[in-house]
Amino acid sequence: MLRTWTGARQRIPAVCQIRLLHNSQPVSSPATEASTSKAEPDAVVEAPKKWTPQSKRTGLIALKRGMTSMWNDQGVKFPVTILQVEDCQVTANIKTPKPDHTVYHAVQVAAVNRSPKSVTNQMQGHFRKAEVPPKRYVKEFPVTSDAHVPVGTTLSAIHFVPGQYVDCVAKSIGKGFQGVMKKWGFHGLAASHGKSFDDPGRIFPGKKMAGRMGGKQVTVQNLAVVRVDTALNLVYVRGQVPGVDDAPIYIRDAKKVMDIGRHNAAKGKEEKILPKGVDDLPFPAGTDSLAKTLPPIIEAPAYRRSPFTPPE
Amino acid sequence: MASATRQIFKRLFSSTPRTANTQAATYPFSKTAILPPLPTKAPTEALRAGKGLMQHINKTLATPEKKELLEKFFSRRSKNQLQPGSIVTVLQDQAPTQFTGVLIAIRRRGHNTSFRLRNILQRTGIEMQFFVNSPSLKEVKLVRAPPRGRMRRAKLFYLRDAPSKMTGLAGGKK
Repeated sequence: MLRTWTGARQRIPAVCQIRLLHNSQPVSSPATEASTSKAEPDAVVEAPKKWTPQSKRTGLIALKRGMTSMWNDQGVKFPVTILQVEDCQVTANIKTPKPDHTVYHAVQVAAVNRSPKSVTNQMQGHFRKAEVPPKRYVKEFPVTSDAHVPVGTTLSAIHFVPGQYVDCVAKSIGKGFQGVMKKWGFHGLAASHGKSFDDPGRIFPGKKMAGRMGGKQVTVQNLAVVRVDTALNLVYVRGQVPGVDDAPIYIRDAKKVMDIGRHNAAKGKEEKILPKGVDDLPFPAGTDSLAKTLPPIIEAPAYRRSPFTPPE
Repeated sequence: MASATRQIFKRLFSSTPRTANTQAATYPFSKTAILPPLPTKAPTEALRAGKGLMQHINKTLATPEKKELLEKFFSRRSKNQLQPGSIVTVLQDQAPTQFTGVLIAIRRRGHNTSFRLRNILQRTGIEMQFFVNSPSLKEVKLVRAPPRGRMRRAKLFYLRDAPSKMTGLAGGKK
């Protein structure tokens, strides 16, 4: 990348080198109300933003409610995990300048209201600044600079489009102290680092031994969203998701699928930017207000040939 | 698309009451998305908080026709419930379009309820598991009730090793 070393670039003042919680003033605060029109709180001057293949949207925090099975329009049965979005609101937009003079952009999202009694004073102050009730789970999602969402916006299940793919991140079920057979899949003598080393006199780092298994963060990638229900704020994903029921799941657009889409956009293949059947994504985020204007239940049909019809 | 016309038909002639928000006709983010009919029960605050959510979903995911089928043949309260040991015929869309056999097991899981039929065709024992809510399952017919009204087991897996008892059931030993 060509850099101009002529001193034309701006110096960022030292005071701003710390994390900037930029624009943590919510939409409904008096300062913003004076500048915007009185008609609607989200009638901002700029035009509605459109998703581009280079954009990266925020994610959502949902709770894993359980699993069931569904049948699609071809009559194929498949397992689904039901994720419920509960009180998911944006609490901050983060713009941190980095030493290489790029800016790290992120959207901080919080979910599931909790009683202020059980919230520390520091976190109470943080939520008060964002003008949201105290929340149980707080998570930051890296985004591109165009994908910031006004603080206080309530996100909804409409954020995901049936037919798209998502990554689900959650803490896996803890299995406790487990032996090597369950933990590492040993069956018999383990031949690690080659049995040819007669007597190293020490244990190689990373030696697989018994120990605590599970209870760690796991990402399951490329799960298809099959159904979205905004009446109950549910996202149905096809397949399994780590963790126990009612545990928080951090859902984001599938990185690998979006990367392929970005690559196809650069090559000019317009039809392969988004997965089959998906025409657009709510941008910068799918909010409660958007959900009210759209049908409450949306389902994705099968986008492949029916497995019951024999191939030609 | 056939699915779109089916949705319009259902919306025009459906007996399910509309919710307060009138359903918009289009979903701009996907042209091929299906808009299924809304459930009759409106969402409550408790459901939005996840209380009793899975039970609610299991009841509302099935279509009314399937719910009737489940209620008639697989509910424990029903007079016409299928008992293990009865001879049952299943008609379905995909192959085999018709299958008759001894009902050897009923797996009750609400929306995911299934049952197993066993038959011997051309000297080969064949077992098939049918899911009641599958869209390809068209009809379930009771051919003959079990001998003496009931068998002494809920699961008749022992029939796999007892061909004489299978023939006895098929022959209609009372």
